[in-house]
Amino acid sequence: MAKFEAGMEAMADMYVFETTSLLEQLDQILMKTENESSFAEEDINEIFRTMHTIKGSSAMMGLENMSKLAHAIEDMFYIIREDHPVISSMETLYDIIFSASDLLKAEIENLQEDEYTPTDFTEQMTKIEDFAAVLKGASPADGAAAAEAPAASSAAAPAPTAAAPTAPAAAAAPVSGSGLTTVKVFFEDDCKMENLRALLVINRISESCAELEYIPEDIENNGDTAKTIINDGFLVKFRPAPGSSTDGIMETIRTTANVKSCDIIERGSEAAASTADAVTTVRVHFDDDCKMENLRALLVVNNVRDVCENVTFEPADIEDNAETSRIIVEEGFVVRFKSDKPQMVLQVIEGTPSVKSYVVEESPEQAPAAAAPKEAAPAQASAQPSQAATSAQPAPAKKAESPKPAAKKAEASKPAADNGAAGAAKGGVKQSLISVNLNKLDVLLDLVGEIVITEAMVTSNPDLKGLKLDNFQKSARQLRKLNSELQDAVMSMRMVPISGAFNKMTRIVRDMKVKLGKDVELIFEGEDTEVDKSIIDQLNDPLMHMVRNSMDHGIEENVEDRIAAGKSPKGKITLSAYNASGEVIIVIADDGQGIDPEKVLAKAERNGILTKPSSEYSEKEILNMIMLPGFSTNEQVTEYSGRGVGMDVVKKNIEKIGGSVSVDSKFGQGSNFVIKIPLSLSIVDGMEISVGNSIFTIPINSIRNSFKVQPNQLVKDTTGKEMVMVYGECYPLIRLYQLYDLKPNTENIFDGIVILVETDGKSACIFADELIGEQQVVLKPFPAILGNYNIKQYGMSGCSILGDGSITIIIDVSNVISDF
Amino acid sequence: MAENTTDSRSAYTADGIEILFFNIGESIYGIEIKYVQEIISVEQITVVPKIPDYIKGVINIRGKVVPIISVRNRFGIEEIPYDDRTCIIVLEFEDGEQVGIIVDRVQEVLVAKPGDISKAPDSKNVNANRYIKSIIEIEGDIKLLLDCDKLIAD
Repeated sequence: MAKFEAGMEAMADMYVFETTSLLEQLDQILMKTENESSFAEEDINEIFRTMHTIKGSSAMMGLENMSKLAHAIEDMFYIIREDHPVISSMETLYDIIFSASDLLKAEIENLQEDEYTPTDFTEQMTKIEDFAAVLKGASPADGAAAAEAPAASSAAAPAPTAAAPTAPAAAAAPVSGSGLTTVKVFFEDDCKMENLRALLVINRISESCAELEYIPEDIENNGDTAKTIINDGFLVKFRPAPGSSTDGIMETIRTTANVKSCDIIERGSEAAASTADAVTTVRVHFDDDCKMENLRALLVVNNVRDVCENVTFEPADIEDNAETSRIIVEEGFVVRFKSDKPQMVLQVIEGTPSVKSYVVEESPEQAPAAAAPKEAAPAQASAQPSQAATSAQPAPAKKAESPKPAAKKAEASKPAADNGAAGAAKGGVKQSLISVNLNKLDVLLDLVGEIVITEAMVTSNPDLKGLKLDNFQKSARQLRKLNSELQDAVMSMRMVPISGAFNKMTRIVRDMKVKLGKDVELIFEGEDTEVDKSIIDQLNDPLMHMVRNSMDHGIEENVEDRIAAGKSPKGKITLSAYNASGEVIIVIADDGQGIDPEKVLAKAERNGILTKPSSEYSEKEILNMIMLPGFSTNEQVTEYSGRGVGMDVVKKNIEKIGGSVSVDSKFGQGSNFVIKIPLSLSIVDGMEISVGNSIFTIPINSIRNSFKVQPNQLVKDTTGKEMVMVYGECYPLIRLYQLYDLKPNTENIFDGIVILVETDGKSACIFADELIGEQQVVLKPFPAILGNYNIKQYGMSGCSILGDGSITIIIDVSNVISDF
Repeated sequence: MAENTTDSRSAYTADGIEILFFNIGESIYGIEIKYVQEIISVEQITVVPKIPDYIKGVINIRGKVVPIISVRNRFGIEEIPYDDRTCIIVLEFEDGEQVGIIVDRVQEVLVAKPGDISKAPDSKNVNANRYIKSIIEIEGDIKLLLDCDKLIAD
């Protein structure tokens, strides 16, 4: 079955990405408000906007069920926002929204499967609607509010129905018939999706139109309208807003992509004079000595434009004429705008940085009779909201149907108004971000990897051997430097803070807190540590698993036990991340009951996974047994919240991305799970060493030193184990050829080379035939069939192709020395 | 794995399936041409420690690291030094994974008609039989069609 209408597949990626991040945002807001146990006006608006956007974009993608569910939540929050009802049961409210958000997330997941069938959300919607009805009933204001509510919900109804009530209202307005300019637009033949192209036209001109109607009306939701548009053309009726002209709008239409022709069928009047009496005039004064008043004025204008139409101002040339700042200082800055909610606009003005004061000189309230007939009936009901998107006035209502621009605008205007200068600056930053498909970045990274290899191929080409090439060497050095900068740039593009993965855990902790009735606090440390995007994606599941684990088994069942053990009654789970020698280390720590090594050992013995007598196991070995496959998951110590998978899966997942996990626990005091993952998957600075015919690469950051052993440095312990004395300390000697069963060129320790390596505070000496040299290598995973043989355990983390086309094996020092 | 190839990538033509035949000692084995990506001569194989004997190591094929399996070793036949007729047949599987197999020499590509193909005997005793998918009779000769998936499976 086709998931989307033809031509929409291309949008699907974007939709999934956007909706996912919106839902994550939603969760964060909910979590925050739940903690603060209050809904700030701003939060309600944010939730409202989020649902509105999801509703709109889902409808656009033809995902009726999601759109409707989002709509139901939007309606509920509309009631909360408008009527300020006394919410009797906050828990119910949160449960409802959280589960709705989960459903939406799950649906997005489903969407990415090959087989997609829309889930039926009716049950959830009934719950939401019931609760909304309760809220409505609980509204403090009686008669008036009750009358408002139905009108309000119809104003916020989804696009298809919203178009219906507003359009006739506009048609009934006395001014519309004669004054509107009617334009017929045709699109290029075969340009596809004419209805959406038409929507684009509407979006582009909506800014500069005081009134706007179009036929067909349901272009956004009804793909069939494309046919109508092909046959009959797309009819747009508009009245230019003050400050824009019919010709200007025509030009905008003409220059919209794929528009073949647009002709005026009926010419209406220019900017309607009759609208003037609805205009609010405000005189703004700025802080003394704030400098550049003209640009500050421009900021005011921009902010106001974000929330209403028809903004004009005096002096008009503030943008280009610095002289105007003097006029502004002396006389103030005059802004005129038309809005059905002037109070909100005034707030925006007030919230703009450096605004000292403002005076309303003329407002529509002085001429209410003139303003009233212009607005559709529901508009009056929704006069309060600080939300441009919900306005039911004809022109903006059309805009609300295209949720993205509307919601984005609202978002952009919010920080500007709330946070002043910082917010405005943030607005600028936002625009400089683009989202790129990760696949493209992967391709780029691969290419850079190839370039690094090729560079080595060129600069250490055997043909050049013995030649004296000063200029060549100079250029080669330059090339190398640029390449390494290129690498850094590509790497940094892929780095994202780990906080995204951490934040998801808040949600899990919250849910489990409720379910298990444990009071637990989740603490983040170093959440701005950056990790390669592809690694983060693989990290979510293991993290979730371990956090669930800590919640379920780490933190004590009974508060009394905690108090008896001298701990705070409130449990604590700490997620921390930090960088250490090219790796990112993530620690999941809890202050719970810890793991009982004896229980683990007994269990392991019963399951027959012990490989040596139980008395020979160290505590660390025992603890790490819980991550062995075959360590059954159905008893207290290792039962994981009903997911049916154990720590061995976590371990496997982490190892898949080249990382490792270890456990550390003090019985009675808590447990630490330590995950180590490489900072990035790919390019390693390495030292090449040879053993017989094989070439190995040891990452430079784990090498401390390399040297030839002197006879007096060699020590043997009682079991015949060789040690090397360096800097007054003894380190175990690892003969690589023995470890890997290879045939070396020399077995004589004094002929070969010894490399002192160190990682995680553990050191050892590695013996090899000789050092070949330093080279950057691109880490490639071993082919899948080699993955079955656990070669990572023997310290081989991957392989790489060298400049001459031969293959080197990259050594993971920590695994090599763990056995010594 | 289905006994007879019915999957989408099967190279059934109207006349039958195309099979590449090669020698291991005196025996002739075949593999379906749909798996074969290329045939290269034996080059320096990088040894990977701590893996089973039958995997000889890895080679670099245009930037891809490809594991190499010795068919002789897999069949439990004594290995012989490589000569200039020894070949690596690079196979590509449906998941994009590439594996090279070392054979004594490559013979020819023939088309086996459906009537030529019969089911392999059920015996799992003989080492080489484990990898046989079906028996083919072409022009009076009996040849064995190998099951590539089993060949690389652990």
